[in-house]
Formats: sequence, structure tokens, C-alpha cells
Amino acid sequence: MDYGELRREIDAIASSFLFLEKKEIEIPLAGQFLNQLEDVTKHADALEAGETKRLSGALSQLLEKVVLEGVNAEKGYGLFERGIVLLQSVGDGYCNAGRYDGSIDGYLGELAAAIGLAPAAEEKAASEPPPTAQTTPEAAPARDESLLRDFITEGLEYIGEIEMNILNLEQEPENKDYINAIFRPFHSVKGVASFLNLDAIRTLAHDLETLLDRARNGILAVTPELIDLILDGSDTLKAMIGQLRDELEGREAGEPIDTSDLVRRIKLAETGAEQPKQPKKLGSILVEEGVINEQELEVALERSQEPPARKLGETLISEGLASPKDVSRALRKQAQQVTDSNTIRVDIKKLDDLIDMMGELVITQSMIRQSETLQNLGDRKLVRDISQLASITSELQRSSTVLRMIPIKQTFQRMSRLVRDLSKNGGKQINVVTVGEDTEIDRNMVDEIYNPLVHMIRNAVDHGMESPEDRIKAGKPEKGTIKLKAFHRGGNIVIEISDDGRGLNREKIRQKAIKNGLISASDTLTDLEVNRLILLPGFSTAEKITDVSGRGVGMDVVKQAVEKLRGKMDIQSAEGKGTAFVTSFPLTMAIIDGMIVKVGNERYILPTVAIRQLIRPDRTAYNCIVGEAETINVMGRLLPLVRLHDLFEIEPVHRNPWEATLVVMEGEKRSKCLLVDEILGKEEVVIKNLGESLKRVKGVSGGAILGDGNVGLILDPEGLFEMAETN
Amino acid sequence: MDVNKSLKILIVDDFATMRKVIRNLLKQGGFENVVEAEDGVAALKILQSQKVDFVISDWNMPNMSGLELLKAVRGSDELKELPFLMVTAEALKDNVVAAVKAGVSNYIVKPFTAEVLTEKIEKIVKSMAA
Repeated sequence: MDYGELRREIDAIASSFLFLEKKEIEIPLAGQFLNQLEDVTKHADALEAGETKRLSGALSQLLEKVVLEGVNAEKGYGLFERGIVLLQSVGDGYCNAGRYDGSIDGYLGELAAAIGLAPAAEEKAASEPPPTAQTTPEAAPARDESLLRDFITEGLEYIGEIEMNILNLEQEPENKDYINAIFRPFHSVKGVASFLNLDAIRTLAHDLETLLDRARNGILAVTPELIDLILDGSDTLKAMIGQLRDELEGREAGEPIDTSDLVRRIKLAETGAEQPKQPKKLGSILVEEGVINEQELEVALERSQEPPARKLGETLISEGLASPKDVSRALRKQAQQVTDSNTIRVDIKKLDDLIDMMGELVITQSMIRQSETLQNLGDRKLVRDISQLASITSELQRSSTVLRMIPIKQTFQRMSRLVRDLSKNGGKQINVVTVGEDTEIDRNMVDEIYNPLVHMIRNAVDHGMESPEDRIKAGKPEKGTIKLKAFHRGGNIVIEISDDGRGLNREKIRQKAIKNGLISASDTLTDLEVNRLILLPGFSTAEKITDVSGRGVGMDVVKQAVEKLRGKMDIQSAEGKGTAFVTSFPLTMAIIDGMIVKVGNERYILPTVAIRQLIRPDRTAYNCIVGEAETINVMGRLLPLVRLHDLFEIEPVHRNPWEATLVVMEGEKRSKCLLVDEILGKEEVVIKNLGESLKRVKGVSGGAILGDGNVGLILDPEGLFEMAETN
Repeated sequence: MDVNKSLKILIVDDFATMRKVIRNLLKQGGFENVVEAEDGVAALKILQSQKVDFVISDWNMPNMSGLELLKAVRGSDELKELPFLMVTAEALKDNVVAAVKAGVSNYIVKPFTAEVLTEKIEKIVKSMAA
């Protein structure tokens, strides 16, 4: 490419222009010119023909204005004509003398004034719809019923897709395809609404579309807040279309939906993220500091892309636009932004190892402290130092366990989404309120507790919550509320899932339990006991099986899952007022609250959660039927006796239940009495697994090093029960 | 000179209601020979299998957008002269300029009336004939 060829490119444009029949640049030709001018601009830049480049760039802008009807067609034609002539003479100048001696500034100034376009403001040329967009009422197919019906059906379907796509987006907030898939339904709804004169719908869809457009262009970050806003927006849009349907079908449509709050939130979100969280680019730092201006930056950016590709900083220095000092200062500033954060990411494996080692350390120091040799030395300083060591280690253990803790927020968000999805399918209207989202829980517990919680949510939405019609009949607000609440109590996290639905029908539960032989008709049960009946296997009061819950899988499965995590669950309910599932889980699976028991010379740890009672029964409470199991009468219930010494073949101190100690333990679906010699105490122990080879030993779930340094086995009640039953 | 009202027009839009809206507007303008496609891919299939005289395409569609369809049409030897009207929601500079550069015949901004639509079609057809 040389000046001659550049001149020929310009001439090509001029001659197409010359042959125009009408004094108007029509769109296809404008497109051709735009492409040609783009080439000219690029080549002029490479040849460093500055004036050619500026002029052809300005002519492109003029054409864009013409295309967008931002300038009168005739005026645009005249301006372009003069511009092309000028461009030819500039081209001549470069061709003949390697430079242009005249000035193009006069023309450029006139052009800028005429098309209302200061060169810097060019970015904001997204113009309002031109006047042709005005809909004249008689021409618009206003209230065409069949169109409206189509719109309602298709619109609702399209908006429904948003909710599906939003889950994908949540996982990959950067994925433009997902954003576009959410953008499109709003866009389509808006388009049709504009034809059907549905102004409120059109406006809201437009606002949501704008919001997403900003997300798509990277101006807004896809945050959970943004996603919530989009979901709220699509809900409102659906409600509006639903009203339209009611109206069309002659039903009471109700008050027009007030969108002002939503619109305010949308506007806030649009402006709130004007400061993107991502670190600023080097270029924009330099522009901010006034080292270079935006045009220079643009040129340098383009240039640094050309082979040989160089970094922007290098280009700027070699072009003499910025000093090395400026660039390095800006780079430092950029680096600060990246590290200017109060958190770091750590591989969870490293944390697990650390916490594991912490456990070992605590045990080791406790062994040292209890060492008899040490006690006998009588060195007071050493004793003092060791007790200092103990308090430091326990402090260390506390802080290291906290490391793995994360807020329950994420789990709650997933659950809120689930409620939204389920209520949609079930034709119910439900609000989700969350309390205590910042309550922390061990990272490793989060996944474990999710499934049982999901089941409870399903139950609340499907069985607990009434349909909008039933709610109105019951004098309650049409929209129900499900509340998710988390807080710490003792060493546990308590999670409450409560609804303001119909509550448990205790009479129905009683009847069913009697029918299934779970209780007898003469039994008097407290309210709480009746509630707990639904936690028994195979119990389901729902009259029809739905997609959501039912299918014979009852709350007993949930209860088992909760207990497997060493948690507890309970149900509170008031008929007509609602139901609350209260579950509590240990904060971590790494430590267990255990009861240390002794049999012969062996010591075992029983998980405290499984223990119901400790008793030394009367001689009369013991029954033994030959050939049948031994039983103990515990407050009117006959519970099978399990002799721990028999199971593990140990020589015990006591064989008679009335001399030994009995631990009433609860397993899945049944309780048994465990016979041990004595109770040594209660201790929080760090669970150690026994390794691959001992993994399948029945009745034992792990091991722990006790305070005195000896190893104790942690017993698994369910496993023990099974052993006793097979013997 | 009047434009032949029997020319075959292909409407491309993923939103069925929108296609119906445009179909109704075309009918008001006297154009009744209409085929529909739900996205660029389906549109191309139709264009390859039957003779179409005019395309009215939406901008934003899944699978193959209006711009991609336009580029495919202009890049094909048989179809490159086909009149192509792009429907956009707003006169967004970037979109319009991209379409213009890709060789769109004209564009129209939603919502539009039957008169404006007919005017645009006639203008395009006439300038092609010239």
C-alpha cells in the first residue's frame, strides 16, 4: 500500500458517489461507503497520512448519522459531497508531495456542528427511536384478541425460560450466551408489547432489557443481587401478563401492578455499578492521571495489537506518549487494586490438612499435660509453661476451625430459588424471607445438609402452602411466606424452615397413624408427639402424589439424613397458621460430642446425640424369655437389651443389668438399651477414621484419642443394633 | 410504478406472536404471500429450497442471529441480491451500523405501522429495480 493506492481507494468512493441518480445516500450504498471508508482510514493510519485518516473517519461518522436518520438526508448528501471532494484533494496532496498543505479543520468543524457531534461524544450516539417509530392508534392492531392471546401464551412461556437460564448464569456469570438467552425473552416481549400498545409491560421489559444489556457489555457485574432483581422483574412481568389474561377472559383483573419500586431498584442497579469491581486497565489509569488522552490511548491500543504485538506500556513509551516512570507508576497502582482485598483463596484440601493437624496437636499437648512423669517432677515453671501451651493450642484450634466456616447465605439463596421454581409449578404464590444468612457453618457440612433441607422445602411448598384461592378463603394474604432462618445454639447451627400455610392436620395424622398401626386409638399423645408421627417411615398425609414431594418418600428419609449428620429435627405446627421444621446440625463433622463408657478394660465413645437416657433399672424391669431376646421395661416400653461385652467379646465387670449401667440409645426407627460397666464422662473428641482396612468394621464409626492419650473407638448405634439383631 | 404485491416475503423471528404481528401488517399493506421461519438457520433452509423475493428479519434470535443470517445471505452467490429488511427494537447505533456494513437493504424500528412497513418495502424494491 502506498499513497497512490490510497488515492485510488478514495477515487473509487468518489466515482460511486458521482453516479448517484438521486440526491440521497440510500442504505445499501451507505454500507458500501462505510466499508470503503473503513479501509481508507486503516490504510491512511498505516501510511501515517494523518489528515486522510481524520477526514475519512469523520465521513464515516457522517454516514452513520445519515443511516440513523440523525441528520437530514439532503443536508447529509451535501456534506458528504464536499467531504469526498476534500478527501480527494488530501489524497492528491499525499500522493504528490507526501503531505497535505491545506487545512481540513474548517470542514471538520462545520461537519461537527452540523451533525451535532463533538468528536469525543461519538460513543454516546445511541439515539432515541426516530419519529417514524411513533405508533398511530388507528394503524396499530390494538386489542386484537387473537394476537393478545398468542402474546399471553408465548410471552409467559418465554419468560419461564428465563428462570431456567438464570441457574446457568449463576454458575457462569461471565457467559455471554447465557446473558443473551435471558435478554432475548425480555426483548421479544417488549417488541410485541409495543405493537399491542401494552405500555406498562413494554416499559418494564425495556428497563430489564437495558439492565441485561449492560451486563452483557460487561458494564454491570452479574451478582446475586442482579440475578434476584432479574427474577423479581420476570415475576412482575408474568403477573402483568397474567392480569391481561384475566382481563381478556372477563375475570376481575385487580389493581394495576405497581412497578415503581422495581423500576427504582433497576435504575439503582444500573447506576450503582458504574464503578466496576474489576481492576482498572492500565490505559484508563493513565488517562485518569492525565498522562495521555483517550484518543492517544485508542491509537496506542490499536498499535500494540499489530504485529509484533507489544504491551500497551511499551507502545506508549516507544511512541513517546508516556514516560517509563508514568507507566510503572500506573502499573503499581493497578497491582494495588488487585491485591487490595481482604480475602485470599485457599485450596480446601490445605485447610482440611491444617485442621486435621490441629486436632493432633491438641491431643498431643493434652497427653503431655496429663503425663505422670511430668506431674511428679514438681517443676512449677514447667507446669506453668505447659498450661500456657494448652491455652494457646486450644485457642489455635478454635481459630483454625473457624477458617473453614462459610456463611449459610449461599445455601439459602439456592433454596429461595427452589421455592420460586416449585411455587411456579404448583401454582402457588410464595415469598421467601431469610434471616441470619451470615450464620456460619463448616464448608464440608454445606453440601451434606442441602439434600435434607431441599426435601423440607419441597414439603413446605407442596403440602404446607395452600393455593392462592384457599388462602384468600382462609382470610390470609394471597401470597404465602416461607421463612428460612439460621442461628447458632451451643455447638450447633439451627436451621428453621417455616411457612404460614395450613399447618399440620393433627386429627388426620392421628387417624392415619391408627390405620397404619403406629399408635392405638386409645393412646393419648401430646401435640408434639402427633407432629413427630409424620417423621415415621412411610407416612404421608398428602392426598395426591405430586411432582414435588409425595411418591411415598416421607419425612422419615429426611429425619434419617439429618441424623446421619448427627443432627436433630423437630416439627412445630399450629393448624391454619403454619408449620416449622427445626433442624440443628453440628457446626462441623470433625468433632463429636461423646460419652465415654467403660466395658471391662476397654473404653468406647458413644455419640451423645443418640443417647436418650442413662438408667440403672430395677431387678423387676428385666425380662428374659427363653429363646427370645432380653428386654428392659423403660417407663412402660419394653426395649431389647444389647450387651456390649457380648458383641465385642470382652470380660465385663457386671453382667446383671441392675448392677451395670444401661444407656438407652436411639437408632433408625427403634431404641435399645446398651449394657456397659460404667460411664466415665463426656468429652468432645476429634474424629479419626480408621483407615481403609478397618472401614467396614461393624458397629464402629471411627476412633479418637482420648485426653489421657489412649485410643477409644467411636461406636455407631445403628451398626450395633444390626449386630445384635443378627446374632 | 407500483410494487408487485404478490412477491414472496419471508418473516424471520423467534417469537411467533411477532411473526403474526408482521404478517397482519403486511396483509394491511396488500402483501399476502408470506412464509415464516423461527430463526436464521430455518430461514436459510427455506431460502435454499424455494424462491423468496424479500426477507424481513428480527435482529436478536437464538441459534443464528439476524446479522449472521444477513451475512450468510450476502455471502451466497445465489442470494446476495436478495432484499433484506432488518427489524430492530431501537435505532441502536452499533447494531444498525453493523447491519448496514453487512449490506442490509434497510432497517425498521419496532413498533411500526403498516404504512411505514409498506413504504420501506416499496422503497427497497424500487431502488433494486433501478
